[in-house]
Amino acid sequence: MENSRQLFNAGEMETGVKEIAKKIAARFAGKDADFALVGIQQMGVVLAEKICEEMKALGFVPDFGKLDITMYRDDFGTRDILPMINETEIPFDVSGKEIILVDDVLSSGRTIRAALDALTDFGRPGFIRLAVLVDRGEPEFPIRADYVGFNVSLPAERKVKVYFAENNGFQPGIYDVKWQ
Amino acid sequence: MQWTRKDLLSIYDLSAEEITCILDTAEKFKEVSERRVKKVPALRGMTVVNFFVEPSTRTRVSFELAEQRLSADVVNMQAQASSLLKGETLLDTVKNIEALQVDLVVMRHSAPGAQNFIADHLKCGVVNAGDGAHEHPTQALLDLFTIREKKGSFKGLNVTILGDILHSRVARSNIWGLLKLGANVTLGGPSTLVPREFESIGCRVCHNLDEAIKDADVVNLLRIQHERQTVGFFPSVGEYAAWFGIKGSTMSKMKKDVLIMHPGPINRDVELASEVADGNNSVILEQVTNGLAVRMAVLFLIAGVRK
Amino acid sequence: MNGMILKNARIVDPVRNIDCVGDIGVADGVIVEAASVKDPQIVDLSGKVVSPGFIDIHVHLRQPGNTAAETVATGSMAAAAGGFTSIVAMPNTNPAADTAGSIELLKRTAQEQAVVHVLPCGNMTKGGKGEEMAGIGSLKAAGVAALSDDGKCIQDHALMRHVVEYAKSFNLPILDHCEENTLAAGGVMHEGKWSVLLGMNGISSASEELMVARNIILARQIDWKIHMQHISAAESVELLRSARSKGIRVTGEATPHHITLTDQCIKKFDTNYKMNPPLRSERDRLAVIEGLADGTLTAIATDHAPHTGTAKMVEFDHAPFGIIGLETALPLSFTELVVKGVLTIPQLISKFTSGPADILGMENYSLAVGNVADITVIDPEAKWTVDKSKFFSKSRNTPFDGFNVQGQVVMTIVAGKVVYSR
Repeated sequence: MENSRQLFNAGEMETGVKEIAKKIAARFAGKDADFALVGIQQMGVVLAEKICEEMKALGFVPDFGKLDITMYRDDFGTRDILPMINETEIPFDVSGKEIILVDDVLSSGRTIRAALDALTDFGRPGFIRLAVLVDRGEPEFPIRADYVGFNVSLPAERKVKVYFAENNGFQPGIYDVKWQ
Repeated sequence: MQWTRKDLLSIYDLSAEEITCILDTAEKFKEVSERRVKKVPALRGMTVVNFFVEPSTRTRVSFELAEQRLSADVVNMQAQASSLLKGETLLDTVKNIEALQVDLVVMRHSAPGAQNFIADHLKCGVVNAGDGAHEHPTQALLDLFTIREKKGSFKGLNVTILGDILHSRVARSNIWGLLKLGANVTLGGPSTLVPREFESIGCRVCHNLDEAIKDADVVNLLRIQHERQTVGFFPSVGEYAAWFGIKGSTMSKMKKDVLIMHPGPINRDVELASEVADGNNSVILEQVTNGLAVRMAVLFLIAGVRK
Repeated sequence: MNGMILKNARIVDPVRNIDCVGDIGVADGVIVEAASVKDPQIVDLSGKVVSPGFIDIHVHLRQPGNTAAETVATGSMAAAAGGFTSIVAMPNTNPAADTAGSIELLKRTAQEQAVVHVLPCGNMTKGGKGEEMAGIGSLKAAGVAALSDDGKCIQDHALMRHVVEYAKSFNLPILDHCEENTLAAGGVMHEGKWSVLLGMNGISSASEELMVARNIILARQIDWKIHMQHISAAESVELLRSARSKGIRVTGEATPHHITLTDQCIKKFDTNYKMNPPLRSERDRLAVIEGLADGTLTAIATDHAPHTGTAKMVEFDHAPFGIIGLETALPLSFTELVVKGVLTIPQLISKFTSGPADILGMENYSLAVGNVADITVIDPEAKWTVDKSKFFSKSRNTPFDGFNVQGQVVMTIVAGKVVYSR
């Protein structure tokens, strides 16, 4: 908690999630929507679950998937700590599907690049859009989010962390923390 | 659990936690094999050399496929231990391979500990694909993976390994893995091929087939090598089959849900009758499938450690 | 002339049963009354132990044939540094020491280059192949101290019987490497728990025990001396104990490595733990120590077996057998046997002096006035760490690098000349 500050509290965060859900709902309103939410492991999955609940409240029943991008990283073998692989579960046919990829923070864009590769290995989606809770605005790749909860501008040495539940002394919320 | 090893040399070296980490990772890779594109870019740009100083088809093909599905560049090298003896030393050979900026060496060798020896002298990762009668860690890991998939857990599970334990690296790796994960291990077969010394590490040694398999949840059969007969370990393949082979009629003496496993290649109707090998209790082909996922997991973990 | 007095040392002389503080005079290469030395150089050896020079009845000098690993010059210097004033050179050189010519060559080389006495040992069979008897009579005439096919063992019992009978008529002791081949075939380490766990081919203890028993039977029948080299197995010790109690003329030696290490050391596949006979179980190790303690084994011998770094830098299966031992023999034995209370200092010294002298038939091997001044001085209190980079041997194949030991050779005198001191 040292050297960190809260950017948004739990209540504001919840509002942000609802906003994203509403925007996605607007995209598919009135159509015979065949779309899916795919969360990127790990926080993107939690966010996608929350968005999915909101969408159900709005009368939508999207397909739901989980995607782990560890095998698709571009920094494999160069990190001190090898990330453990989490579950990938795409229980629907991706081909032709309209997919909303969900992650907590859009930072460098590299995770999304990997996720696009991973997702297209399952088939040929109709289109893919990106939803993030926080967009830091300066990706290293030409990747933009379509549905954004919050826009945050921070120096590169800072990291944005999202906690949906209490974690290690942090109350739920969005934080600006120092890179470890 | 954080994977930190640059080499996979033996199951003896691993903790239960590390074994579980590999099995968990393998589960994720098994899912990859069910995708439309059965390939991930994890090892893209990395070079793996399969260096086999002892003939092998199955293991080499399984490793090669695993490497390709991880997008590694793959080179296969074969050598005879005898020609290595006369010419370049093993160490010089692998040093030369490493000098070509290779990231991983998957090696099989007829001498126990050969991989331990070279791993001490190499910066690149080394994966043991079988060293003499010492260890064959990836085979044991795929056996463990298959057992866990079918039986859920190892605690209190009765696993019987049958056959030529003395000369089997598969047996040794399995024994260490099973013991570390909490299974009860019984070793069965002729007294000349199943030494009592294994009792000192907590195995049950049994020279009577019926007794060895009676309470088994899993029976893992080893290939019986015909050449052992000529040096007098047993009188004949026929006698081996009669006393220690699993026949159709043997099934009634075992638990109904016993798993029948075999690392292959099977001597049909010697250690294992065809009707059992192809029967409902057999998971022999699933072992082969799982071998791919397990080897992908091992290569992924080893390659992911910064050298 | 050339006189020296070793003053205030603890003199340990097993043959004469002496253990007291005193002075020893040396002049003209022999031991003299201290008072008789004129204008002597005084060497104060307070706190040190002075004994007859150590004898190693089991050394491989590798010359001719493998001078990359050792030479007569380097091997003898290593011997001097280990406190040995006499070493028996095993005949498994290339060519083998199975003819008078080979022995004469070795003697001449030793005369020119060696700093200690090199006692040649001739082969029992031609080429050490165990097939035809070597020219034992001419070997005797050339000056061999003993006969051995070390490294191999004559499998043909009738041939062995004839060799022993023939050697007796030439008054030559037999030093036998006891190994029955079929029970050792393909083996690279002791057959036991660790060979089973590591998946390595084992060398059964029975392989040694069978040939020890065979030799006991032949020694009794022929009434001649057969010495069993590097005894490693518990039952071998028991067989020897029983035979010696019946007056059969058999003896046995222990190596420093068999009393300090066991087969468990091999689990890291370090080829410096590969030797033949192999490191055996803890039970065997303790039995060999017990054999030294109760007098069943009367000698400690090193089986100093140099190999180049290249030769040992291979797979365990393919590495040659053997480790060097001359420069670590005394400290390892002292640490394992004296420090741990198994032997007294005089008892330990007997294993390096009177024991091996008796096996070779050397009479009155002592510090008595008039004897050749072969003298070893040790510091029983010195605690130090083995550093193989400091060895005089040309080879470095030792598992003992970095071992903390007690007991150190501080001076070696050969025929009145100080050939080593620290």
